[in-house]
Order: sequence, then C-alpha cells, then structure tokens
Amino acid sequence: MEPEQIGNEGVRELWQGQKTEGVQMSMEQIQKEAGRFQRRIQWRNRREYVISIAMTLFFWWLFLLGHDVLVRVGCGLVIGGNAYMVWHLLSKGSLGVVSENAGFASWIEFRRRELIRQRDLLNGIWHWNLGPLVPGLLVLIAAFARFAATARSSIKHPGVLVAVDLLVFIVAFAAIGRLNARCARKLQRQIEELDRQSGTGQA
Amino acid sequence: MPRPTNDQDRLFTRATSDYGAALERLARAYEANDADRQDLLQEIYVALWRSFTGFDERCSVRTWVYRVAHNVAASHVDRQARRRRQEFISLEEIENRADEAASRNLARQQVLSELYGMIRDLAPLDRQVMLAYLEGIDAVSTAEITGLSASHVATKIHRIKLALSRRFREGGSDGA
Repeated sequence: MEPEQIGNEGVRELWQGQKTEGVQMSMEQIQKEAGRFQRRIQWRNRREYVISIAMTLFFWWLFLLGHDVLVRVGCGLVIGGNAYMVWHLLSKGSLGVVSENAGFASWIEFRRRELIRQRDLLNGIWHWNLGPLVPGLLVLIAAFARFAATARSSIKHPGVLVAVDLLVFIVAFAAIGRLNARCARKLQRQIEELDRQSGTGQA
Repeated sequence: MPRPTNDQDRLFTRATSDYGAALERLARAYEANDADRQDLLQEIYVALWRSFTGFDERCSVRTWVYRVAHNVAASHVDRQARRRRQEFISLEEIENRADEAASRNLARQQVLSELYGMIRDLAPLDRQVMLAYLEGIDAVSTAEITGLSASHVATKIHRIKLALSRRFREGGSDGA
C-alpha cells in the first residue's frame, strides 16, 4: 500500500485483509463445550443452595435446641424467609449469561432487558431478601430479651444488650438497603443513557 | 439443554464458514489478551450454536451471527471492565483526540495495532458500530444489530470516518 492511499477505505481494506488463524471448532467440541457451560450454570445455582442450606441447618439446630416457644417461632420464620429468598433468586435471579435468544435482540434491547432485571432485583431487595428475614430475626431478638430479663440469666444490663442488638440489626439492614438502592440508581442511569443513544426515551 | 438438530448444526457450520474470519477479528477487537481471546471466541461459538435452535429467519443469518457475537462479546467486556474498573470513551472523544494522536507513515501492522487500541477504548455500542463499519456492513444492518436508529448509525459512521482519516491521514508504508 502506498502512502496517501490509506484513508478510510484503506483502513477498511487493511482490516478485512488481515490474517486470521482460521479457528474451527468441530461439532463434537461445540457440544462438549455447551455441556460444560451448562454444568457451570448448574454449579453456580448449587452454590446459592449451599449457602442457604447452611443457614437453614443452623436455624434448624437452634430450633431443636431451644425449648422456648419464641425461639422456635423465630427460627421457623427465618427458615421460611430464607426459603422464599432462595426461590426468588433462582426463579428471577441473575445468571448473567447470554441466553439462547441472544440473536433475537439487538445489543440495546439485550442490554436494556438485563439492566432492568438487575435494577428491579436491587430495588425489590426489601421484598425478596431483607423483608422475609425481618419477622424471624425480630422474634429471635424478642426471645433473647425475654430470656435476658429472667432470673436464670446472669446478664448484668439486659436492656442495654437488647437495645444494642436491635440497633446493630437496624443499622445493618438499613445499610444493605441503601447500598442496593444506590446500585439500582446507577443501573437506572445506564438504562437512561442507552435510551438516549437509541433515541427511544423509554426509561 | 435443547437437543441438537440437523438444522442447528447446518446453520452453525455455514455461519462459521462464512463469518469465522470476521468473528476472529471481532474477538481480537474485544480482547487483547491471547488466552482470553480464545475463551471469548469459544464462548461466541457455543452461544451461536445454542442460538440456532431459535433461528426463525426473521433476520438474515449475518445479522443473527453479529447480534449473538456482539451480545456475547460486549457482555464479556462489561464483566471484565467492572473487574478492572476500566472506563470507556465515546466516538466523540475519539474524534477529538484523533488530531493529537495522528499517526503518520505507519507500517500496516502498526496501523492495525493502533486501530485495535482505538476500538478497545470505545464504549460497547460505539465499538459495535466501528466494527460493523470496518467489516463493510451497511447502516441499516448495523442498526438491526445494535438497536440504534439508522440515522444515529449514519451520524456515528460519519464520526468514525473523520476520526480514522485524521488519525491515519498520511498512511502507511508497506512495512508488514
């Protein structure tokens, strides 16, 4: 190629004319890789199950150990809330993989759908993640408060300890909620930017 | 996983034979690292094969192939960018920077290497338009692939042409 000839067309020619390695994958390789991909997704789902099973086992153990009816009710509520959380995550949760329908959607539609799904998941965190755990944890704090106030307890300042427990619980949950709301707002800005670029203004 | 069909295999074989080289260039434009690029290309191939179970000829095979490839590649880059906290720039910025970075008398390989650098700096949507332009895909098909309006694509292509001609205006010797 002579100097001065490069221009736009020259760059395009150069681009299309570059050597490629001619990578080919046989049908067997493709099917093997697709199977591996499927197993990876299953493993990720199982990982979410493992955390939830560990949590369930812990509260089930507390349930069996505790003779107090409040403790048992609290543990039961936490286990129920945890089950709802896992069901929600697995039915609507993030796999973050490109689906078989990737060819039906342009990048903007594809990306927009994913961002909306993630935003709604974060915005609904009180509904599917924090909210279902609140009743059980509050009942457990109440059970602790009742125990601390009895003569059997050797705790010196039960009121203060219960207040601190409650405060930690409220601050932790509020912080998680705020953090998620902030991430959701960031995703909303990305959706608006996509809409601006596509000229749809649907956000 | 859906059962593989003859149609799926036939479409896949045809797509990789017709667009295999373009997919390699696309993977190279999205991923600089050799091993990651191989992984990305493999991910694109697997997604493409899986996607052909749902291909209903509402768009051309070419549009389908590029949509799948860009959706996979851009998602891959998005994940990487989040991990590396990488910031992308827009075509407008590339255009503004083209004069400062103007490269003259470059060998082919250097032109290509600078071009890849330019593309990898771009945000996913601008990157897709740039790649479609370089592959010689018309504005209407580019709009189908990206989801941008045809007029928006035309504006972006105009910017790409300006940026490329400014950056590589005096072109290269045949030094490859």
